[in-house]
This record gives sequence, structure tokens and C-alpha cells, in this order.
Amino acid sequence: MIRTDAIVLHAFDYRETSRIVRLATREAGVVSVIARGAKRTGGKFGQGMDLFTSGAAQIVLHPTRDLHTLGSFDATRARPGLAASLARFGAAAALSELGMRCAPEDGGGAIHDVLVAGFDAVSVAEAHEVIPRTVTAAWHLAEALGFAPTLEHCAACHEALDTEESVRFAPRAGGALCARCAALAPGARALPADARAMLLAWAAGEEGIPADAKVARAHQRLVREFLEEHLADGKPLRAWRDWEMNGGHAESR
Amino acid sequence: MSAIDELITELSRLPTIGRKSAMRLTYHLLRQPAAQSRKLAEALVALVERVRPCDTCFNLTEAAQCAICVDARRDRQVICVVEEASDIASIERTGEYRGVYHVLGGRLAPLDGIGPSHLTIVPLVSRVMQAGAREVIVATNPTLEGDATALYLSEQLRASGATVSRLARGLPMGGDLEYADGGTIVQALAARRAI
Repeated sequence: MIRTDAIVLHAFDYRETSRIVRLATREAGVVSVIARGAKRTGGKFGQGMDLFTSGAAQIVLHPTRDLHTLGSFDATRARPGLAASLARFGAAAALSELGMRCAPEDGGGAIHDVLVAGFDAVSVAEAHEVIPRTVTAAWHLAEALGFAPTLEHCAACHEALDTEESVRFAPRAGGALCARCAALAPGARALPADARAMLLAWAAGEEGIPADAKVARAHQRLVREFLEEHLADGKPLRAWRDWEMNGGHAESR
Repeated sequence: MSAIDELITELSRLPTIGRKSAMRLTYHLLRQPAAQSRKLAEALVALVERVRPCDTCFNLTEAAQCAICVDARRDRQVICVVEEASDIASIERTGEYRGVYHVLGGRLAPLDGIGPSHLTIVPLVSRVMQAGAREVIVATNPTLEGDATALYLSEQLRASGATVSRLARGLPMGGDLEYADGGTIVQALAARRAI
């Protein structure tokens, strides 16, 4: 049994009163657990197992199984702010999907911490901050998993890139390309110098808001294309695409 | 697969029924008179063939409209929106609500691929508009997904002029403050009222 900080990434009902929950934990990476009796009001999990809630989890790990048992979950921080706007809700779902799809079971604490920081940032984000904060968290997640994009050197030939120069960005190659390598990589996207500077600033943990919504959406698409390229299962990021297309079901507005 | 195995497999798909319980039920059915088991089979067939969603509110019914929608004593100006038809029974048990219902068929859940088009939101909006409803009570579950669904509905219904309200939340009756989680206490404080 381990006791660890954890955050709820996804949960669905199992049988009459139980739930199966995906947790990002500090000690054991992303794990699936069964929370028996979690649907009962006043049960040992109370109402604290809502999406994106942080807490201290006690987990009985079964080494030979993919589904572990949740002994207890003491919620320490709910994030109702994530449902206060549809854009935030869509962004949180997109981040959660990334956490579940990208993070290995032995991912360690970095992934948990990146997700917590990402959810916290999005939960208080103004409308124009939602995309940059989510995209920043996604790049930090890629970095924590060891496949951050190459931005200062050509991802193919490793030649240094002039920071003032617009370059091409090829997800398959692993980042920015020099002009010579870009010619051999059809489909690479244009990455203006200011957009690359913003990516570098985000990677360094600095705040940065794109000039307008169109640029923000370009960043949103870029990170999604990069991550989909590098995910082992080759499946699309469904919640991220949904958020990208509808802004968290913003077609109503 | 033998008939016995097939029934055990099908029964064990039901909620709260594991394989052992399914076996017990199967052998119980084999031991009882055949007519009794046939009656159960007929009831299941009737359930599948006759029960359908209500044309107005998507509650489950055997007629075009459910018993609540055809009840003339119900206030049609107040519509309570629930996620599932089974939620209606919970509210009806209180005997306090005299309006009508609308069953969404779920809640917004991007992680499960459920968006607005998968729910009965368009029929709800046109119903509220047509009926000139004065209040829509959103009784989705008190979860982030339920809250996001309520927010989406309030945006969709803004043009209707109806008051959109949400069920209150906080400490349960007979509960103990000492054992309540932080989120519930925060909600209870936010929704406190003068006495």
C-alpha cells in the first residue's frame, strides 16, 4: 500500500456503487483504481472524487494487475473554477486526456506536479488566458516525459537556428528545422520568430499571451499535432480536438 | 454456448450481479415452474418492445407521452432538467415538485466523447421557447461535468427569457460537519441563507 498525492483525471461508474478512477499520482505515475462504494453519499470517499480534484490517496497496488484498489481519498483541493466557463472545462478535459494518454505508470512526480500546476492555472484563467495556460502545461508535460520539441537547433541536423528567423516546425522530426532540412520535410508548418520565442518563454516557465486569438489557436493546434505524432498508440487526442474545434463547446456563443 | 451458460453470461452483465449470483439465479429459474420463467421472459420482451422515450420530455414511457407530461395538474411552466430518466424517480419520491421534466440523456463529458449533440438539448430549447416556460431547474449531478452542462444549458436558454436555476448543494440532512469534505463545506458556505 502507498500513500501519495493524487489528482483525479477521469472517473466512470462501475456497477451499482463503485467507480473506476484514473489518478495521476506523485508516487506511482498514472494508475487506474477501483473506488468501492464511491457513489454512495457519505461513503468513505464522500463527494471528493470529482474530476480534477487533488487529494491524498491510499492505494493498494496489485503488481500483476492494471486495476488497483483505492483505500481512501482525502480531497484537499477541488477546482470548481474549471466548470465556471466552458472554455476552462474543455481545456481541463484536454489536459486530463494528455495526462492519461502520455504518462507512463512509472512517470514519477513530475507529471503529477505539471498537471496540478496546469489545472490550477486554467481554473483561474481569464478567457484569453485559457489557451496559452493550457498549451504551456502541455509543453511542460512533454518536457517532463522527455520529448520536448527542439527549438534552438535544427531537429534534424542540429545546426543552431537564428532566433530572429522564421523557421518550419515538423512534429515528426521533433521540432524546428533549418531551411535546408525543411525542404526535405513536406508538410512542416511555418513557425514565425515571435511564435518560437513564445514557445521558448513558455518552456522556461514564463507567462506569455499570444497577440490575438488566431495566434493562440495556432499554438493550440501545434502542440496537439506534436503530441499526437509522439504518442505511442497513434490515436487522435479526442478531447483536445473537441476543445480546439469548439473551445469547450463554445459554439453556443 | 449452452442455454445455461448463455443466461449466466447475460445475467452477469447486469449491475450488482457477479458470475456467482448469475449462476444462482439461473439454477433458481431452472428449479421453479416453467410458466414462472416464461412470465419473466415475456416481461423482458415487453420491456424492450413497449418502453420508449416520451415524445416531449424523453422520460421512459409506453405511450407517446409519459404519465407526467399528460398529467393536467402539473405546472408546464416549470421544467426540471435531469441527466437520466432514473433521476426523475428520486425527485418524484419527495412529492414536493409539481412541474414537468426533461431528460438530457447524460451530461457533457469531453473525456468520454459526449458533446451537446449527444444530448437532448435542442429539443429542450425549442420546448422552453414554445411553451414559454418561466423557469428551468437544472438538476444535473453536482459534479464538474454536471456544472459545465448546467452552464451550457443556461447559455443556450438565455434567449428564451426563462429563469434558469440550479439545485442547491451543501451538507446532507443528518450529516456531520466533522466528516464533510472541504469542497462540500465551501459550497454550503457559499449557498448559506438567513434564518
